[in-house]
Amino acid sequence: MATAPLFRTEFWRNGPQPGSIYNFPGGKTKPDLNPMKRTMNPTVTGTSVLGLKFKDGVVISADKLGSYGSLARYRDLTRVMKINDTTILGSSGDYADFQFLTNLIQERVIEEECLNDGFGYTPLRLFSWLTRVLYNRRSNFNPLWNTYIVGGLQDGEPFLGYVDKIGTAYQAPTVASGYGAYIAQPLLREAFENNPNMSLEEAAKTIDRCMKILFYRDARSLNKYDLAIVTKDGVEIKSSIVSETNWEISDFVKGYE
Amino acid sequence: MDILQINQTSDYKKAGPLQAHFNPYSYNGGTVLAIAGENFSVIASDTRLSEGFSIHTRENPKTYKLTDTTVLGACGFHGDVLTLTKVLDARLKIYEQDHHKQMTTGAVAAMLSTMLYHRRFFPYYVYNIVAGLDDEGKGCVYSFDPVGSYEREAYRAGGSASAMLQPLLDNQIGFKNQQGVTRIPLSREKAVNLVKDVFISAAERDIYTGDSILINVITKDGVTDERFPLRRD
Amino acid sequence: MSILAYNGAAVIAMKGKECVAIAADRRFGIQAQTVNTDFQKIFEMGPRVYIGLPGLATDVQTVAQRLQFKLNLYELRENRRIKPKTFMSMVSNLLYERRFGPYFVEPVIAGLDPKTNEPFVASMDLIGCPMVTNDFVVSGTCSEQMYGMCESLWEPDMEPDDLFETISQALLNALDRDAVSGWGAVVYVIEKDKVTRKELKTRMD
Repeated sequence: MATAPLFRTEFWRNGPQPGSIYNFPGGKTKPDLNPMKRTMNPTVTGTSVLGLKFKDGVVISADKLGSYGSLARYRDLTRVMKINDTTILGSSGDYADFQFLTNLIQERVIEEECLNDGFGYTPLRLFSWLTRVLYNRRSNFNPLWNTYIVGGLQDGEPFLGYVDKIGTAYQAPTVASGYGAYIAQPLLREAFENNPNMSLEEAAKTIDRCMKILFYRDARSLNKYDLAIVTKDGVEIKSSIVSETNWEISDFVKGYE
Repeated sequence: MDILQINQTSDYKKAGPLQAHFNPYSYNGGTVLAIAGENFSVIASDTRLSEGFSIHTRENPKTYKLTDTTVLGACGFHGDVLTLTKVLDARLKIYEQDHHKQMTTGAVAAMLSTMLYHRRFFPYYVYNIVAGLDDEGKGCVYSFDPVGSYEREAYRAGGSASAMLQPLLDNQIGFKNQQGVTRIPLSREKAVNLVKDVFISAAERDIYTGDSILINVITKDGVTDERFPLRRD
Repeated sequence: MSILAYNGAAVIAMKGKECVAIAADRRFGIQAQTVNTDFQKIFEMGPRVYIGLPGLATDVQTVAQRLQFKLNLYELRENRRIKPKTFMSMVSNLLYERRFGPYFVEPVIAGLDPKTNEPFVASMDLIGCPMVTNDFVVSGTCSEQMYGMCESLWEPDMEPDDLFETISQALLNALDRDAVSGWGAVVYVIEKDKVTRKELKTRMD
């Protein structure tokens, strides 16, 4: 802003430049003519989300940490939400984008409810809609930086789906995002293949084991997680589960001193 | 040692604000294969959906039934595949309601070509193969590039293992590089068995092909499904 | 474009029953333009040891000559013919010496052991990482196509005639789906008492 003055007169000092746009003192007046900037990277992030089908429904889990880069900034965030009595949603990635979408979804759920026509979000409907939203955002180069895991009961049957920030979507009996895809997914698949008709207790135990192992190895994770459960009895969110850890063998890890 | 150090430090280059550039595409692998017979077509795909070195799911066939006589095989970026098939289904429904009949396989192929070209400068990253029956009830296969260039062919492999499958099809169906052979028309059984054979071979060497295959056979009586397991590693 | 694909080439080798075969295309081109169609890519390195060198043509010839030189020294010093496996180590050593400024060739080696007549095939990357297999090896600009062909056509314990047909079909059909290799092919079938060299007529487009 500090351009060389065109005129140097004794009676017109430190004022606006004759012939130029008036400059408020200290402030910038020129509009920002740079191209519009969009979020091209996440800020506060959540790590893995896990999902698992069992005999009577679906469970989704996510820990409570909000990371700011490598800083463990927030330690009590909720990344799973209840949509309605048959649908739950979990999110990893940018937490602000998740909050934005949470608000949007809740708005739409209320609007649907007001119609009172017996229709509402089913897991498949939400999943399908999310896929479109995320795909369209990526197509406009303005992505929602999240991976969403949708769970619920679709026509009485367990439903579990995965959508990522570019609109890749699929359904599967076990899903995991982030590091969970590498660390927890193999364990979940093994558990599901050995016992496709798990009880809720068995499913919750499997998830707990995975969350614990993720806590051991994922540096951006926390040993406190939420577990959302859908069964025909509705949705239950078990909050702030702390799994029991065992650091005995850590003494044997040597060579990094 | 100097050279080594330069190479090493270049991995840890400039500190400063980090900007992950957003990439709107991803590659999810998968292979499709279609063969046109005298009065049938076979179209098959593997069921693996991958990204990098991870497998998203082992149960995602890449063939999509469009009409009673047309099946699409599509692979590449799965987000685009989902979008493309959704738009295609909508366009086909509109056509059906406008004209009180289903689109022919040739018309589906022509429409798909224009849809792909419509996104010429932000393409659908999808390899498409359309298989079905033509107006005379003969088997037909159309293959596409991601921006809509297409042609009718007797057989075509597309997707991640296409380079492995295509030469074998040339040899076994096109009788290429064979002398003094009687060109017997391809039977349905031979076509299906050949599909299994080439997919087994592809799964040996291509990490993006495996888990299982779904084989669709299209005849005037409709579309049949057949599953066949592949290696899962 | 990769320097390895600048001239275009395809080499393949297969094991059979008490025999091996090695085959290559004959094109020498500069990117899309074909310059010559009788370019040598397979070199005899002993009575029953052959090497195929697909890659940058100038390096193909340099590597072949330097290998021949090293081989002569070996035979003078040892006073015996080299084993295919030993020869593989020699090639690997030659390539790894140029670890940070490599020769742009990815060799294929085929041969029979001079004493036991045991078949041997191996391939290598451009800095000399060897890979010995029990079935077949491929290298060059249409390696994917050759893998597809070999995985379907190859079977264990083929007689020399079968082996010739199989390797020829595998190479030819792969070549036809590659724009920068082809324009003729040559096949060597190596048996314990004879080596048969055959030139194949191929599509010339």
